[in-house]
Amino acid sequence: MLLAFGNFTADPSVNLQLLIGGLALGAIYAVVALGFVLVYKSTDVLNLAHGEFLMLGAYFALTFLISENLNFFLGVFVLLLVMLVFGLLVHYGIMRRMVGQGFFAIVLITLGIATIIRALLLIFYGPTERARLDLLPQGSFEVGGATVRYVDLIIFGVVAACVLLFFLFFKYTRLGLHMRAVADDIEAAAAMGIDPDKVYAMTWAAAMVMAGVGGLLFGHVTGAIDRSIEAIGLRAFPAAVVGGLTSLGGSIVGGLVVGVIEQFANGHLGTKWREPVAFSVMFVVLLVRPTGLWGRKDVERV
Amino acid sequence: MTAVDNPAPQQEDSPTYRPSPVQRFLPFAIAAVVPFILGSTTENVNFWWKALITVVVLAVVARMAWVWTPRGELTHREDMRLWRTPSDRSWAAVTTFGLLVLPFILASDFTPPMDFPWATWFAVVNLVLIFAMGAAAFNLLVGYSGQISLAHVAFLALGSIVGGIVGVQWSGGNMWVALPAAALAGAVVGAISGLPALRLKHLYLLLATFGFHFVMMLVWREYLQEYFGFVGIRFKGENSPRIASWLHWLPGIDPDDNGEFIITGQFRWYWVLMPITVLSILFMVNVVRTREGRAFAAVRDRDVSASLLGINVARSKLLAFALSSAVVSMSGVLASFYIGSRGEDSFNVQTVLNYAIIIVVGGFSSIQGAIFGSAFFWFLPEWFKWAREELWIVRDIDFLSDYPSEIDLAIKGFLVVIILMFKPDGLAGLWKDVKGWIGRSLARRGP
Repeated sequence: MLLAFGNFTADPSVNLQLLIGGLALGAIYAVVALGFVLVYKSTDVLNLAHGEFLMLGAYFALTFLISENLNFFLGVFVLLLVMLVFGLLVHYGIMRRMVGQGFFAIVLITLGIATIIRALLLIFYGPTERARLDLLPQGSFEVGGATVRYVDLIIFGVVAACVLLFFLFFKYTRLGLHMRAVADDIEAAAAMGIDPDKVYAMTWAAAMVMAGVGGLLFGHVTGAIDRSIEAIGLRAFPAAVVGGLTSLGGSIVGGLVVGVIEQFANGHLGTKWREPVAFSVMFVVLLVRPTGLWGRKDVERV
Repeated sequence: MTAVDNPAPQQEDSPTYRPSPVQRFLPFAIAAVVPFILGSTTENVNFWWKALITVVVLAVVARMAWVWTPRGELTHREDMRLWRTPSDRSWAAVTTFGLLVLPFILASDFTPPMDFPWATWFAVVNLVLIFAMGAAAFNLLVGYSGQISLAHVAFLALGSIVGGIVGVQWSGGNMWVALPAAALAGAVVGAISGLPALRLKHLYLLLATFGFHFVMMLVWREYLQEYFGFVGIRFKGENSPRIASWLHWLPGIDPDDNGEFIITGQFRWYWVLMPITVLSILFMVNVVRTREGRAFAAVRDRDVSASLLGINVARSKLLAFALSSAVVSMSGVLASFYIGSRGEDSFNVQTVLNYAIIIVVGGFSSIQGAIFGSAFFWFLPEWFKWAREELWIVRDIDFLSDYPSEIDLAIKGFLVVIILMFKPDGLAGLWKDVKGWIGRSLARRGP
């Protein structure tokens, strides 16, 4: 039968486990969605390469933390620094020339960047899959019959800290103010003496650093590190949209909501329903509130 | 100011010229007949003689079509023609000749120097035809009508589903019924998938259609598992398309020993794929010239002002989705039957990217660009494969032969980025520049 529904279970511990798994998944989605939101909020670019950025982060984490065996904090610092340089490279090399181009052309160029990153990673790291990272605490504890992993808690904490950090950054620093001004109206901001080029470069660097953090965290919970982990970028889209593509806090709420819904669909209906259900939720949100739960309303002048 | 700096428009001072209908028709008739004459004389004529005749006929046909073009004061009807200028008519005649002579050239057992892969090129040409059709339809929707959609691979899958139900399960290999059925299903489902376009734009429309992609992938996987299991659908063997026995009297069709005419092998497939692709691309080029097509462009540029002009915006958007999806579904049926099997992983996100690469490289928002793009997309890997094995400098670089497919992928990615940065109208734009450059340098030489 085409629409074979799985068997629903009312067992509370199963549902609790699904809820916790969903929250853990949602935390990862929130990390990825935060990257989307950062870029979209200030440059109006839908970055379809974010999954690949994340894959880049995960592979660099492998190199610096496992192969080179650096101290954890030093390794993370180097990783984030390298990602920052890559972010500047993406802006000054490519995206800078695309400012003012049509919307779909920019989406396609991010797809081009995604293709390049995927090909280069395949060339330099090979198609063999690597074991996942194991630098964060690996244990778990039990709550009411459900298992909670420490890693998930750490991920959740890191995401919340990042959102808080970015929130404070946007609200209280000068560069954050510039970013908001450029996002609001690039021409007016430029007339006020703000350099949009610098702001965009900072945005891409921040998004890349966020992807580095995301890759490091996701590298701990994925089954194995191989070329398929870029898919997390696409799977996190519903989270970003549900939360609102211009809202930092929305990415956390959206991530958690979508993660829990997906996990319940996964548990009760079957794995194949995971993506369709998530994208259907996104679809409904788009139809009812196209800007998401907390997104900025676009006013269209005629 | 000299005449070189400011060439006078040709139309105004040239006298009105009307060729007779025979004169207009003749170059195309020659272009259509000569390939078959050349093709039927396989045994006793040397290859190089045929090549010489081909080149001569090309030049003659181009010149005839060029000269016998209506000029001077044109009626509105003549001004609206598809091939209006001498150059358009000339290219049309050359293309007709080229398309008809190509299979005979590719089917000949010619061995080019340095082991250039002659045999595989026929397969590549057929794939180019299928992909050009799908990419042109995608371009009609995304480039020309401005309705951003990432759901076109979903419609390829829909084509495979319809091909599986109608072509395999019901009729055991009847592609001819599956094609119109797929067009119908594609139009209906396409109009439904276009419903979000009435409310959403740009980014949000892109995401909504991408959601549709995942829903369609679910349907595809469920359908496969329900009726075919993990091996996927077989469109070859007993399910190959064939020409019904009551049509065997047609010229050029001589049945195999068992009294059937199965469409198999590159040569026969070419004669199926080429007309369908050419007709559907002509159909789309003509749609663009009609009232509906101009409405698409108006809605793309500004939907509010389009509605003030009296265009039914909702109808126009849904029509664009329906037309594009119908053609993409048909190309999905053709691809299924041509490739011969479709499994669970035939459609994935990489396929979406491939079509995006095709339309970017070919030229965004031009239907001809889809042809250039898919030709480029399929010939590039073949050429690189040959270069890695045979070309004397490249042959010795181990790095290139160690990672063939990855390097192809990287090159495609770099091409997309470079083309979007420096030449946003792609190969079609480049082609236009070259034509303009040739035309200008000819005009400068004077009469």
